[in-house]
Amino acid sequence: MTSPAAVLGLVAMLVATVAVGVFARRFAHTTSDFLVAARAVRPAANAAAISGEYLSAASFLGIAGLVMKYGYDVLWYPVGYAAGYLVLLVFIAGPLRRFGAYTIPDFAEGRFNSPVFRRLAVGLVIVVGLFYTLPQMKAAGITLASAAGVPYAAGVGVTAVVVVTIVAAGGMRGVTLVQAMQFAVKLFAITVPVFVLLVDFGSPSGAFTAVAGAQTASPPGPVTVPVAAGDEWQVAQPVTVQLDHRTTVRLLPGAVPRASYVGVPQPLPPLTGGTVTALASGDRLPAGQVRWEQTARVGLPAGAPVPYGAQTPLSPTSSWLQPFGPLAGGSGQPLLFTYSLIVAILCGTMGLPHILVRFYTNPDARSARRTAWLVLVLVGLFYLWPPLYGVIGRLRAPELYTGDLTDSVVLLLPRQVAPHLIGDTLSAITAAGAFAAFTATLSGLLISLAGALGHDIYGRWLRPDASGPARSRAFRASALGAGAAAALLGLLVENFDISVLVGWAFAIAASSFFPLLVLGIWWRGLTTAGAALGTAVGGVAATLAIVTTMLAAASPELSALLIRSSGLAVVLAQPAIVTIPLAFAVMVLVSRAAPRTPAGVAAKLVQLHIPDRLGLRRDYIPD
Amino acid sequence: MAVHRRVPGGELRDLEEQTPVGEIFLGALMRRQLALSLRVALTLVAVLGAQPLLAWLWPGYGRLQVFGIPLPWVVLGAASYPFMIALGLYYVRHAERIDDEFSELLEP
Repeated sequence: MTSPAAVLGLVAMLVATVAVGVFARRFAHTTSDFLVAARAVRPAANAAAISGEYLSAASFLGIAGLVMKYGYDVLWYPVGYAAGYLVLLVFIAGPLRRFGAYTIPDFAEGRFNSPVFRRLAVGLVIVVGLFYTLPQMKAAGITLASAAGVPYAAGVGVTAVVVVTIVAAGGMRGVTLVQAMQFAVKLFAITVPVFVLLVDFGSPSGAFTAVAGAQTASPPGPVTVPVAAGDEWQVAQPVTVQLDHRTTVRLLPGAVPRASYVGVPQPLPPLTGGTVTALASGDRLPAGQVRWEQTARVGLPAGAPVPYGAQTPLSPTSSWLQPFGPLAGGSGQPLLFTYSLIVAILCGTMGLPHILVRFYTNPDARSARRTAWLVLVLVGLFYLWPPLYGVIGRLRAPELYTGDLTDSVVLLLPRQVAPHLIGDTLSAITAAGAFAAFTATLSGLLISLAGALGHDIYGRWLRPDASGPARSRAFRASALGAGAAAALLGLLVENFDISVLVGWAFAIAASSFFPLLVLGIWWRGLTTAGAALGTAVGGVAATLAIVTTMLAAASPELSALLIRSSGLAVVLAQPAIVTIPLAFAVMVLVSRAAPRTPAGVAAKLVQLHIPDRLGLRRDYIPD
Repeated sequence: MAVHRRVPGGELRDLEEQTPVGEIFLGALMRRQLALSLRVALTLVAVLGAQPLLAWLWPGYGRLQVFGIPLPWVVLGAASYPFMIALGLYYVRHAERIDDEFSELLEP
């Protein structure tokens, strides 16, 4: 799997990131320069920087992998990521810039005069931030594993060390140039390889026609896949395999059981029963389930349907191409599943902890709106391409289904498809793009997390009288702690889909911060108690629902219960459709029951809404 | 509360000092902006939200094709983005116009 070219791509990206960061920092002298780029960044540069931070590993790797695995339904993810920006633009971009709050805890305290509420918001920022680091860590693990051949855990560890070092050494946040460069790298790295990959088919329509032409995924030439002891396959049609040595397998012939769903697709339960037999090169694997008992290299013939790994639902092309395919369709509640996913992503964007801060680099509300619109243009331009990797992957690299490696399709496809030198070059490009994606988002998240831990919990709560150097030390220690926590949690999620993990972070943010921001900006009658209770209820309910789903993967009893009631299972796995209305309802009812609006609410609304040119604005954070 | 950066006219002072007249001006501005935001957001939700419903009620939707690509892929995976960009542009223009009209009304 190792590719020297891809390692070169990773190293080049690392050097470029550090070099541009050092270069740009020479122009940043004061704290204000550093944090908010002196509020004088032009909308175009700012939009590129925001897009650079927003396009995470979920966008760069996750969407393509999920499209390859599940087909059409996954398109809701990129569309939702872009649409979330439109929602942010129309509801909060202008007013929040006028208000001058650049984190959600700042908004909570500034709008409601409540330090207690601030602490609650800080707690939720940490939960959402940690959830959002999980998929980035998984992406780091698989990128380094596929490029440098190191184990998954080593990839996660190395990335954590690199990102914590960058953040603790002074950070990249606020260095517009670095983030803008990372957007350019990602756009280049996703588009250029896809055009080369499309050459075979002439156009996207050629690729779709080829996919629709076969009911199953079959490799165009013979392929070899490695298996380890304990790996399991689902074999839909008998297949003749070549082996590098005689090996033992456990066979359970017969129909492959349907994939089970606990709201989201679950891996098949470990194979027991069946018969253990010796397998020699040239033998046929019967249809059914197979468990490999020894490490081996297995050759699969050209043109025959590939076996699928235990994590990947077997799905014929006809269902893969259609709405309500293996992702939404198998849940038993396809419409509920689809709508809840859409709602979570649409409303969750504005609640991600690293998103709002960059808007503060705009000089006024007008440029904040223009910036948000330009971000929509830039991310829309990006999101056209990742799904095509999934489509071409199904045609050209179906053996990724066998190894449950679809999340790596962007990294592995170029080498599978293009001739040697071009394939190596392209895989270096996509590896560099993936590196840009997870380091940009991870460092943004770590800064937010370290800010919440170091600035809020240490600086305001534990040691309000701490000196400047002590605060800097606290910030660095927090970055280290958050990075270590993210890396440890990242080790646990190797078997979860990147985009499913991202969907969970969005659901928690959407259920807590979305109602807070929208009602806090637009509704005069919102009370402190209503806002705080609604935020807490929504955030806690969404978190509990998601944790229940994660536990179901480990508990057969819970999982059996949820399989029996598919509606409940879907709502627990995609809770936003219930928890967002719940949070709104709590906010409105509590505010109505005890209508004591916070002092000075009219002055706050003036700050939020009166156009800048009237000159009434006063920044919440002074220069 | 607010910083005096210019000598305000009468209505502007009403806004700054949150007199009842100022409240009326502020409320009117917020209502216009919120109506615009809701109009844009509801259009977005209606256009996106209609697609699962369409596929659910009419299974034949998934089998339609344009240029050999299934229509649902083209609509969602490609056409969504220019649609959202146009909607965003509409919002930015109108939001700026509302702000400008309000400012012209109040500027001394």
